[in-house]
Amino acid sequence: MYSMKLRKEKFDDFVAALGKQNLYAPQKKGETLVFAPVETGSSLPEFSNTTVPPKNIVYPQTETLYCFQAGETDISLPEGDEEKVVFGVRPCDARAMALVDSLFSWDVDDPYYLEKRAKTTLVGFACNEPDINCFCTSVGGGPASTEGLDVLVTDLGETYLLQSLTEKGEKLCQSMEELLEKAEEDDLQAADKLHEEARQKITREINTEGIPNKLLELWESGLWSEISEPCLGCGICTYLCPTCYCFDIQDEVEGSDGRRCRMWDSCMFGEYTLHASGHNPRPSNRERTRNRVNHKYSYFVEKFGKIACVGCGRCINLCPVNIDILNILTKVKEAL
Amino acid sequence: MSEQFKPNIVAFLCNWCSYAGADLAGTSRIQYPANIHVIRVMCTGRINPLFVVNAFQQGADGVLVSGCHPGDCHYMEGNFFARRRFTMMRKLLEYVGVEPERFHMSWVSASEGAKWKDVVEEVVESAQKVGPFDQFRRNKINW
Amino acid sequence: MVDLEKLRTVAKETVSRDDVKYLIGWRQGTYGFRVSPHFMKEPEEAEKLIFSPLCSNNLATYLTSAEKLPVPRGEEPDTRKVALMVKGCDSRAVVQQIVEQGIKREDVIIIGCPCDGVVDLNKVKEKFPNVSELVQARWNNGSIIFQLPQGEEEVPREDVLADKCLTCCYPNPVEADVMLWEEVKTRGSDEFADVKEMEAKSIQEKQSYWQDKFSTCIRCYSCRNVCPMCYCEDCILDRLNPNWIFRSVNASENMAFHLTRAFHLAGRCIECGECERVCPVDIPLMKLNRKLYKETKEIFAYEPGLDLESKPLLASYRPDDQEDFIL
Repeated sequence: MYSMKLRKEKFDDFVAALGKQNLYAPQKKGETLVFAPVETGSSLPEFSNTTVPPKNIVYPQTETLYCFQAGETDISLPEGDEEKVVFGVRPCDARAMALVDSLFSWDVDDPYYLEKRAKTTLVGFACNEPDINCFCTSVGGGPASTEGLDVLVTDLGETYLLQSLTEKGEKLCQSMEELLEKAEEDDLQAADKLHEEARQKITREINTEGIPNKLLELWESGLWSEISEPCLGCGICTYLCPTCYCFDIQDEVEGSDGRRCRMWDSCMFGEYTLHASGHNPRPSNRERTRNRVNHKYSYFVEKFGKIACVGCGRCINLCPVNIDILNILTKVKEAL
Repeated sequence: MSEQFKPNIVAFLCNWCSYAGADLAGTSRIQYPANIHVIRVMCTGRINPLFVVNAFQQGADGVLVSGCHPGDCHYMEGNFFARRRFTMMRKLLEYVGVEPERFHMSWVSASEGAKWKDVVEEVVESAQKVGPFDQFRRNKINW
Repeated sequence: MVDLEKLRTVAKETVSRDDVKYLIGWRQGTYGFRVSPHFMKEPEEAEKLIFSPLCSNNLATYLTSAEKLPVPRGEEPDTRKVALMVKGCDSRAVVQQIVEQGIKREDVIIIGCPCDGVVDLNKVKEKFPNVSELVQARWNNGSIIFQLPQGEEEVPREDVLADKCLTCCYPNPVEADVMLWEEVKTRGSDEFADVKEMEAKSIQEKQSYWQDKFSTCIRCYSCRNVCPMCYCEDCILDRLNPNWIFRSVNASENMAFHLTRAFHLAGRCIECGECERVCPVDIPLMKLNRKLYKETKEIFAYEPGLDLESKPLLASYRPDDQEDFIL
């Protein structure tokens, strides 16, 4: 671990220097905060978290797998990816990327995702003021969790503390050396104190003990109908969830050119499990909601040992009908 | 001298009147611009406004919808519905920034070979004025 | 004006009827200013129902979104009625669904709640950020009173109401089996200022405006799913054969999707504003849908969702419809 600090007056220079390294950071597009390439000179907004998680940088919503042409037998692969630095990643989103990493290197190494991931350096921002619906501490994370990050930045008031966590992170910090100063023991202690205070500020909690093993016992429970009744079957919770990774592969053809591309799909859409025969094993929102909760809190735990939820709170904030995962888990615990 | 831009016009013609009218223009050896690509439909009432959007997506610089005169529709009412439909579609297209010179609708009957020539010339000329369409073309957006 | 006692009594009576499957109303959400739709099946649940400026959900969307699942052998499909609580805009949605024969009048019991406007959560969160505890709200003549953890706060309605409510011309349900309390005064009048502002822009400006707005669209289809008028069982977006609108997310497909949806709402959109409310990336969908609403009103003197006997706009015609644009 390599700790440096940056004075706030030098922050703009720091961002400008990072900008030469293909920088992505939270930017306002209209009213919405998303991770986007930073133009030289643009500043970083104050933010709690972006609407769209940074997963779309290493796992784009639409990705060309290869292109083809009528009459040709060769396919052409997309160009290789560039190195990127993503600044302002919250620890929950980074933990989520670590979870998704294990999925994309599970039985098959997904070259598209893994190449992008290897070329991306994640610079995280510890949360000093968690959002009202954050619950990272309930699912194994925290406002200053380092999992998945290459560098962790903490706002100490007048300075930023930078702690590099991996080789990539160290390389990045070294490239910024002229703007940085050595961090003192006091700074590290101040950071620890802030991290602990942030943990205390989180108001929403659930004890997930026992849930992963016992969720399947609730398969026939009426609880799923009750929870899913208002569900509209839109894709908001899945598309904006940093740990969701389901995709669809489609061929798009125009005249004699075409491409095969992969795009995000949502298990909450009706046609996600629609068979060619017309049968749908998850015909209504009840089955789809049950599947989603089971997947995140039981099936993923079984396969990878971790709950596939990082407590970012986006699904709670953005669900149009206020279907609240913490509410669901509370009901699950009551029913168990 | 710069080469004059040749627009790609896609025309949806109803089988009974406009298609026959265009055919008459051909058999009468009336010369009209060749950059019009005709798609025959049975009636303008069958035309889904999505066809127009899709034509633009696939590279059309202009779209023409042409049918029988009101009251003369082979299926009695099809063109009345089409008229309402495309009144709304035109307004919507202009509102999102598609130049009004790109979308036209006309009534060309089976005996109006000469009118067909005029319609095509007008459509091609207006599309030429506004240049190539690249607002939401498919291929031009990064594949 | 809001009589919660009456609301709950009527709800209890309605749900106790044999021919009613359930009643859809609003109940308090799980945090802050949220409100959630509630499907009430037992009379005891009446206590959960509320009606306040926070009740923005349009419940009419559930009338047509109910999935028609295959019925197990030996069972009959449940054809009992659905009771629905509606505000002014929501009742227009129900009327329009009946006009289009998407539902039958006798299959729904409409419980009318005259409404003085619901809040826009973005505006409220700006005024009162980071409120996690449950909040209640009520109307008070020209203002809204919020019961916050720190005490009551009264805010003028213009500061927090949704834009659609500020120009609302139909705050009272246009059709109802039961009207729960006395009608409210119509405060708004609609000059379509937002649409006119857009119309006045140049073609180039319009292009860049919409391209910019649609570039953030993630095609979550929330707008489509929440819309009470979007209930095609065979939606064009779900069809892969033929694949009219590709599932990939780029400028071309996003524009095609939004144009298609806006056009499908021509003469049908009843301006409930839900599409704009649910959009996670804040696309100004009402600006798009209201354009055709304005044109429908001006050209055809038709406003959808008001008259049970009317015919849908694009399913009818007049021999003298305008055709000045036709060559």
